[in-house]
Amino acid sequence: MESLYSLRNITCAYASKTVLSIDRLEIFADRITCLTGVNGSGKSSLLELLGLLHPPAQGALLYRGEPLPRSGKALQQIRREITLAHQTPYLLKGTVADNIRYPLKLRNLTRREQDRLVCWSLQTVGLGGFEQRKSDQLSGGELRRVAIVRALALKPRVLLLDEPMAGLDTAQSDVMESILTRLNSKDLTVILSTHDPALPERLCADIVRLQEGQLAGRQPLPTTTETPLCPDRLKMQEA
Amino acid sequence: MNFFGESLGTALSLILSLDGEVLRTVWTSLYVSISAISVAAMIGIPIGLAIGIHRFRGRRLVLTGLNTLMALPTVVVGLVVYGLLSRQSPLGPLGLLFTPVAMMIGQIVLATPIVAHYTVSAACGADARILPTLRTLGAGPLESAWQMLREVRFVILAGVVAGFGRIIAEVGVAMMLGGNIRGYTRTMTTAIALETGKGEFAFALALGLVLMSVALGINLLLNLLQQR
Repeated sequence: MESLYSLRNITCAYASKTVLSIDRLEIFADRITCLTGVNGSGKSSLLELLGLLHPPAQGALLYRGEPLPRSGKALQQIRREITLAHQTPYLLKGTVADNIRYPLKLRNLTRREQDRLVCWSLQTVGLGGFEQRKSDQLSGGELRRVAIVRALALKPRVLLLDEPMAGLDTAQSDVMESILTRLNSKDLTVILSTHDPALPERLCADIVRLQEGQLAGRQPLPTTTETPLCPDRLKMQEA
Repeated sequence: MNFFGESLGTALSLILSLDGEVLRTVWTSLYVSISAISVAAMIGIPIGLAIGIHRFRGRRLVLTGLNTLMALPTVVVGLVVYGLLSRQSPLGPLGLLFTPVAMMIGQIVLATPIVAHYTVSAACGADARILPTLRTLGAGPLESAWQMLREVRFVILAGVVAGFGRIIAEVGVAMMLGGNIRGYTRTMTTAIALETGKGEFAFALALGLVLMSVALGINLLLNLLQQR
């Protein structure tokens, strides 16, 4: 099992207050990992750290076994493999398609390729036909799904999701879970934070439990390939 | 009241008959001020964005300085730039004094702090999620700054309009650095001052009306852009 992130004696602080302090943590590639814990336990901070938005105040963060460069093109390159969708995502002004296209433009994709990915990613999350909808006219659930679509269209290797189920009704949550399970079967590492204690089991996910910014527990569960216990995943693989 | 009414009638007929003197003066005002605000925007927007986005030591001091510069008296700017461009100064041999370029330089000095200040306000007031979102989408520092500009463009545009309003309506710089030369550096404001002094109230009023129309036109354009 390949280690995607390795955290060694990591400390993160905002305004001189320590929000994260983890001695050692491995997060594995091509799996779903759920970060659990109460509000303020450090889930979002850990996601932002893993999304390379902030360097740690102390300690080492290894990505695929290598230390991360502090800045420059090499860091930019790695950053483009990782995408984070925030809990209350920000959509750029313009249409849904403009939002999905923006990061694709940054990667110098042709207009044709951009259009193909916009279409594919919207279909994937059941938002086909939303291309020309204005970003400020979306409901909360739609907004969150568009943010995930925007992340997905990049075909990242790592997808970080901060509370993706928050504010969604049961039907929307089911859709989201099904999307996550399907995506993870495509060599994508998904790391998400959640308050739902049953979600990791439904997603057959590893669990990283945080408490007051510290690691309070880690529970690796068997992956789909090792056990056919998860009906959702099994269905996906059969499909 | 009769005097004012008659002057107003004469002023309107001067505008409607496309009087050559009026047109030349309006044209000089417009091209000098539009050129100046374009350069001021190119300088002020990046400065404002840098101050707005980054947190650095002495930022508060820089902001105070910027606010002070916004209130610069036009005659003081005229005086300083006059000193720099006069024959005895290092820039004297360029022969810029009493040319439209000298007026532009003065107006750039006046407008840049205004544009920068509005840009700082726009960047500080922007949604705090913009920059982290852009970073996580793979944007580098320059790409983030450019997209940030796009997100807050209407506030910045308001700053550009405010800057333009200040320089097209100012007299001090245009008079001191342009010299009010007829058909060359005579702008609407300097002409209004001169013609009123000469007793040509109708001509001054005609220019005043055009000046008001320009201000109105620009504000209508801004409103139109904001509605899109």
